[in-house]
Amino acid sequence: MNAKPAILITGAAGGLANIVVQMLAKRFRLVGVDPRGMPMGRKFPGEFHQVDYNHRKMAEIFRSHKFDTMLHLGRVSTTSRAGRNERFNLNVLGTQNLLELAAKYHVKNVIVFSTFHVYGAHQYNHIHITESDPLRASQTFPELLDVTELDHVSRMFLLQHREIRTIILRPVNVIGPRIQNQISKMLRAEYCPVLMGYDPMLQFIHENDIALALGLCLDSDRSGVYNVAGEGTVPYTRAIEMAGSKTLPVPHFLAYPALGILQRLKLSFPKHLADYFRYPTVVSDAAFRKDFGYEPTVTTVKALEGLRIHDPESVQTDALPDHEESETLEDSVVGKNLH
Amino acid sequence: MLSRWKQRLIKSRLTPEILKRIDSAPMQLNSAGFDDWGLDPETVKVALAAIRWLYTDYFRVETVGIENVPEGRVLLIANHGGQVPIDGLLISMSMLLDANPARIVRGMVERWVPALPFISTLFMRCGQMVGDHRNCRELLEKDQAVMVFPEGTRGSGKTIYHRYQLQRFGTGFIRLALETKTPIIPVAVVGCEEIYPSIADLKPLARLLKIPYVPITPFFPLLGPLGAIPLPTKVTLRFGKPIRFDADPDSSDAEVEKMVDQVKDALKAEINKGLKKRRERLFTGSAK
Repeated sequence: MNAKPAILITGAAGGLANIVVQMLAKRFRLVGVDPRGMPMGRKFPGEFHQVDYNHRKMAEIFRSHKFDTMLHLGRVSTTSRAGRNERFNLNVLGTQNLLELAAKYHVKNVIVFSTFHVYGAHQYNHIHITESDPLRASQTFPELLDVTELDHVSRMFLLQHREIRTIILRPVNVIGPRIQNQISKMLRAEYCPVLMGYDPMLQFIHENDIALALGLCLDSDRSGVYNVAGEGTVPYTRAIEMAGSKTLPVPHFLAYPALGILQRLKLSFPKHLADYFRYPTVVSDAAFRKDFGYEPTVTTVKALEGLRIHDPESVQTDALPDHEESETLEDSVVGKNLH
Repeated sequence: MLSRWKQRLIKSRLTPEILKRIDSAPMQLNSAGFDDWGLDPETVKVALAAIRWLYTDYFRVETVGIENVPEGRVLLIANHGGQVPIDGLLISMSMLLDANPARIVRGMVERWVPALPFISTLFMRCGQMVGDHRNCRELLEKDQAVMVFPEGTRGSGKTIYHRYQLQRFGTGFIRLALETKTPIIPVAVVGCEEIYPSIADLKPLARLLKIPYVPITPFFPLLGPLGAIPLPTKVTLRFGKPIRFDADPDSSDAEVEKMVDQVKDALKAEINKGLKKRRERLFTGSAK
């Protein structure tokens, strides 16, 4: 067992981690960390620590394991109930701490999961945004600052530590029967709110293809920042139709103030994400396909239609949220471990 | 899935032959039937069914030289006039109804259009895109037919006294043509510059409203909504011979200006030929 190199997986209690651990267990000794506890009934196939990424216990974990690879999946979603400052502490400072530890304890490979949200849903957006385009997510909504800053600290790490192989992935909406992020939950609901008259093109990547992309990253010796997308793009309303849900049109001039109020009551998903359902943020993953030979295996239609299919593996995770796009980060954890 | 009334609309207004033509237009669609810019051929059919009468009965459009449009990537460069981009609409319809093979014209819309509900969605489904050179370049690389009005609002907003006088051309389209080795077809639109005979442009009001121009016509705003109906002029579209440039995309501005002038002259010649044939018979004269 100890002959295998060790890998640190952050966000280990989340759905995304659940999807990739099987694959990773074959070649790595797994160590998972997450500020939340493991979901009931799900067991992490390795050592698991419930710890905040800013906590000094993190250093001890790095010290004792001599990690070969760090897989940073643990981004608290902007849909989380955590406020802007809390998210900044967890996501940006937490990531910075993890990266500093990775450098200090000679981790050889670092893979960071950022998100396509960094580009921002802007009305001027051209189609096929590339990795070199500006990150304007926080231009209209400062609430998204933690998203762009997480990406930023990772890019600075990539520049400053050329000896460490670092890949920053910016995947599009991840969907799948085992994924419990906001978009998957919305599409699985009976009715799905739509900004009346707007129907931007959206991109989806199936959970299997995200696992595939990760595998390609592990096998390669490249560093860099890469968009990762699925097979095609579809209008939001068509995605809803394919997922077997119904549209619930809301005029945008009512939706934004309403979301503002609901958000303050912590009842709905945040106003600053509504723009992603108004303007297209279509990215190009041409670079990832070229450099890694990536080719999605699940078509967008299949991925959307399969969203409701009950996967036996998803039974134990269904009731619990995914970390990557989590809504229920424990308030106690948020409050307690920050310093 | 189209709703029942849309299917009925298509069936009543479009022949199976036209539907087949649209389906055969070169497109690059994904598994869901869209391209990444949001083009949906089914919506194109519905839109065409709804407004085909504008082309056939209202403006009674005739085309000359549409066979000059080559297969594969092409830039359609046209004169712009008449306040509202009906010229673009009619060129797009001509490429669906009269070109062989049918082509879906990729036009460029202003950057504020995506903020408009319904309209933005309809435009994108019909193959329009935000006017960004990266969108334009990629669609040309995908062998699409891209339509550009190099005069922009300078052309469309001009008053009736300046009709058919080409305004200053932008130069971006030449660089795009050079980079992507795209042939250019000058398209003279004769008849569209009189649909809203603007006699004055209320510039201060336009500045206040942050829009490019506010036209005053003999009927608008005097007759209210009635004055907003375009005059039923007869429209002729004259497609010129392809112009191919084989130069360095990084040519100097002076060299690019020369190429712009070459296209402008070809377009001007085509317009003048048309105007000579039509004379001042705005509502009946063919420029064929």
